Amino acid sequence: MSHHAQATGSGRYTAAARTLSIGERAKALFVDWSLALPLIVMASLLLIAPALSMVWSSFAGEDGHFTLANWAKTFSSAASQHAMENSLLLAATVATLSTLFGTPLSWMISRMARWSRSFHLGILNVAANFSGIGLGFAYVAALGTYGMVTLAFQNVGLGFTGLPQSSFTGLVLAYCYSNVPLFVLLSLPVMSLLRDEWWEAAQTSAATRWQFWRYIGAPVLMPFILADWLLIFTWSAGMYGLPVALVGEKPGAFRLVTVEMYRSLYGSFFGDHRMPVYAVLLMCLAAVSLLTNRWIMRRGTRWLT
Amino acid sequence: MVDLTRAQESPAFPAVARPTVAWGRPKPGFFGLLLLSVTVFYIFLPMIAVFLYGLATTWTNHVTPDGYTLAHWRDSLADGRFRVVLGRSLALAIGTAVLDLLLVTPAVYWQRVRNPRIRPVIEILAAIPFSVPYAVIAFGLLPLSGTYAPSLQGTLWLLLPAHAAVAFSFAYWAIDSSMAASNVVGLSEAARTCGANVATTLTRVILPNIMPGLASGAVLAFGVSFNEVALVQILCGNRFETVPLYTLNLLKSTDADFNSLAVMTGITFAITLVLSVLVVSLNKGRAAAGGTTDAKGAPA
Repeated sequence: MSHHAQATGSGRYTAAARTLSIGERAKALFVDWSLALPLIVMASLLLIAPALSMVWSSFAGEDGHFTLANWAKTFSSAASQHAMENSLLLAATVATLSTLFGTPLSWMISRMARWSRSFHLGILNVAANFSGIGLGFAYVAALGTYGMVTLAFQNVGLGFTGLPQSSFTGLVLAYCYSNVPLFVLLSLPVMSLLRDEWWEAAQTSAATRWQFWRYIGAPVLMPFILADWLLIFTWSAGMYGLPVALVGEKPGAFRLVTVEMYRSLYGSFFGDHRMPVYAVLLMCLAAVSLLTNRWIMRRGTRWLT
Repeated sequence: MVDLTRAQESPAFPAVARPTVAWGRPKPGFFGLLLLSVTVFYIFLPMIAVFLYGLATTWTNHVTPDGYTLAHWRDSLADGRFRVVLGRSLALAIGTAVLDLLLVTPAVYWQRVRNPRIRPVIEILAAIPFSVPYAVIAFGLLPLSGTYAPSLQGTLWLLLPAHAAVAFSFAYWAIDSSMAASNVVGLSEAARTCGANVATTLTRVILPNIMPGLASGAVLAFGVSFNEVALVQILCGNRFETVPLYTLNLLKSTDADFNSLAVMTGITFAITLVLSVLVVSLNKGRAAAGGTTDAKGAPA
């Protein structure tokens, strides 16, 4: 379709280009892009410009000149090292747990009858989207000091006083709430790549279930599972609303990169040299993760279609 | 409202026919059922807690509240600040959805019928909000707007375009696949053969055909804006309190009113639920139509 449009469109312009004046050619070029210009201009101003401005700030000293001091100071400060390590550790834990729980869930749901699949997908979809401040409160209402689960435990005589919401375990539990469902939704389309005929063929060759997964299932699915792990990892590292709601300004609480960025809002914002460095690190993570994800997807599907 | 659609619309996986006989359709084993029920339980538990807190008179030391009342819902909905916040959030989300439709639809149309070179540019732009945290974009916009447009700082006129920018990719994927499914190139050629100009073609021929895509794109953009807190907090702060920011402020205040928080969270949750149902039902129709035309309409 668009092939056709492209052929006639560009053909006309290249044939005509020899006789067109520069002004007419500029006009044709403008018309070619015209209806997309508002979107492209706005998205560039609001998405690319802020990213560039963060990169620039991370290398700008207080006098506005180029310097590596911000980076050096950030990486040599014990508190920042701590925040970065914690963010990466939390993201890796959440992504790994999401993969461990999400893969079997996704597999089961992909082989369910239609109504049962819709039901489970509906629940997971809501949970995946219910991920911000609302989840923060819901978490406190369930597991906090006066939370429902806490009270239930106390009623059966267990001295459980609620999970500290700003601890590593508490954050992992809260992050997993939206990320396990997200992983299932991400990996679900991949599950249809495993053909039922392959299992029948394996059975005909007297393969066990374990052998099937070891030699067919895992090799086919592994690249996609890794790609989804990477996406969950990146998104978890960049989560903002939930950790701000759960950790916030509490002194001595678990340090995270995004929470440190939030705190810089209320500290000496323009004097804070760390925030742009964190922002650039998160952008680099996003870029690497997205490129790797696309590369894996291309390679993985190449011989499966 | 974020990532489900992208996964479904990923071009790598055109709707594969679902196997009807799956493994002789085994029942999930014991561990499978256990995992499923634990997951469903884990998802429902906080929602139940929120629901009960919204209805509780007091809740001291039992598993369930001491008594039930509708007073919190009545009081909250009658409270001036609460209503302003809710109305503001809804208006912002609707504005974001409308702005995204206005920006994205002509661009996608032009990319399909006139200039395919637009596609890679938009795809790169769309990848940014998909992978870069909104907080990073917000922190980048803050000094930029301070330098070049200080009068916009802290106002809706910066927040609305920013929301439209981060939400546009979801509207883009929805509208693009809808245009692929309804063969807009063929429709445009037919319309132009009949003498229609671009504006007539768009409004009388193309738009009615891609309604499901527009609706689902609008719902997705609405959802992004309604649940977004990083841009709101960093760009406007308490000068423009939306539902998530109000919830956050209430949660942070020392005398947090759990019941009122529960009402607001209940409303957020209900809206999330309605949006999810809308997206799923809108996608169902399109997926059915897309199956047959995908190969033809797929980008070159």
